[in-house]
Amino acid sequence: MQSKLSDIELITQTLGGNQSAYADLVKRHQRFVFTLALRFAKGREDAEEIAQDCFIKAYRSLSSFQQQSKFSTWLYSIVYTTAMTSLRKKRVDTASIDDDESYIQIEGKPSGYDEHNVENKSRSYYVNQAIAQLLPDDATIITLFYKGEQSLEEIAQAMGIEANTVKVKLFRARQRLKEKLERNLKHEVNELI
Amino acid sequence: MNSIEEKLWNYIDGTLPVAEQQAIALLIEQDEVYASKYNELLQLNNYFAAIELDEPGMAFTYNVMEGIRTEHALKPLKATIDKRIILGIAGFFILTMAVLLIYALSSVNWTGGSGFKMPQQLTVEATQVNSYFKGPAIKAFLFFDVVMALFFIDYYLRRKSIVKEP
Repeated sequence: MQSKLSDIELITQTLGGNQSAYADLVKRHQRFVFTLALRFAKGREDAEEIAQDCFIKAYRSLSSFQQQSKFSTWLYSIVYTTAMTSLRKKRVDTASIDDDESYIQIEGKPSGYDEHNVENKSRSYYVNQAIAQLLPDDATIITLFYKGEQSLEEIAQAMGIEANTVKVKLFRARQRLKEKLERNLKHEVNELI
Repeated sequence: MNSIEEKLWNYIDGTLPVAEQQAIALLIEQDEVYASKYNELLQLNNYFAAIELDEPGMAFTYNVMEGIRTEHALKPLKATIDKRIILGIAGFFILTMAVLLIYALSSVNWTGGSGFKMPQQLTVEATQVNSYFKGPAIKAFLFFDVVMALFFIDYYLRRKSIVKEP
């Protein structure tokens, strides 16, 4: 069961020496941090490693968190920097990041029982598949905007760029995502025929 | 960059000024091109918002907390010892030596004229000295002294090696 305390209350307790408060904070944000890490990593194991590293780094510098922004924004800036560093390190001995196919992370095909659930799951599956084919920056902006409850200004803060740049990047990322989605769905239809 | 699509995305996101927002709303109502594009983008927006977050492994939180605990355990002893404790111990020794010195000097008979003579209380027979080192408290005290001496030597050598580094 997750704690009902706010992020700031959990941070205060953590700084007071209560480590289980930090465990609650990790539980609360782990899905999003892991998903963001997956946008950069080549597999679940790498993504878990990046996500764990981010939480340890955040714990280490928790006392320097000024509370001028949301904790999530501050945490996502750590995730973005850590994931970018990890990506740069791995670039040396892996294929080019422009290789679209290298980012496909989709697990099994969707499964479900009721019709509505199936429709939602398959919709989510195809969008996730298309996101996985985007460049990490595009995928990160899309994820932060739609799932991170972050404003353009907060995304800009997390990524260390201007809010206007985020706006332009978001527009382009949506266009690319739309193209990928259309291409994948066309491919699926051709396969079915 | 000022395409219909961009304007409509901004309209959907609600990032336009009020006047522009109203103008676009009017265009959607009156212009078929705008209306169909708007519906297409709105549907895409719903698709994008439907993405699901991935779930890390079951032991994720445990692994993070374990990583934090390990990091704490690996902290060098030097960093975990409070400086005030060291200063307190040093202060105790300095104070003890000062008190002993003052006591010894105040007990000397300076007017005797027959040269320096140790006060009666401080003169002990050589055979008596042995008995002072037999008690467990003394042994513990000496052991503590040895540890402290080793610690200070280590501290001194570390500082020396840091200074030597370019």
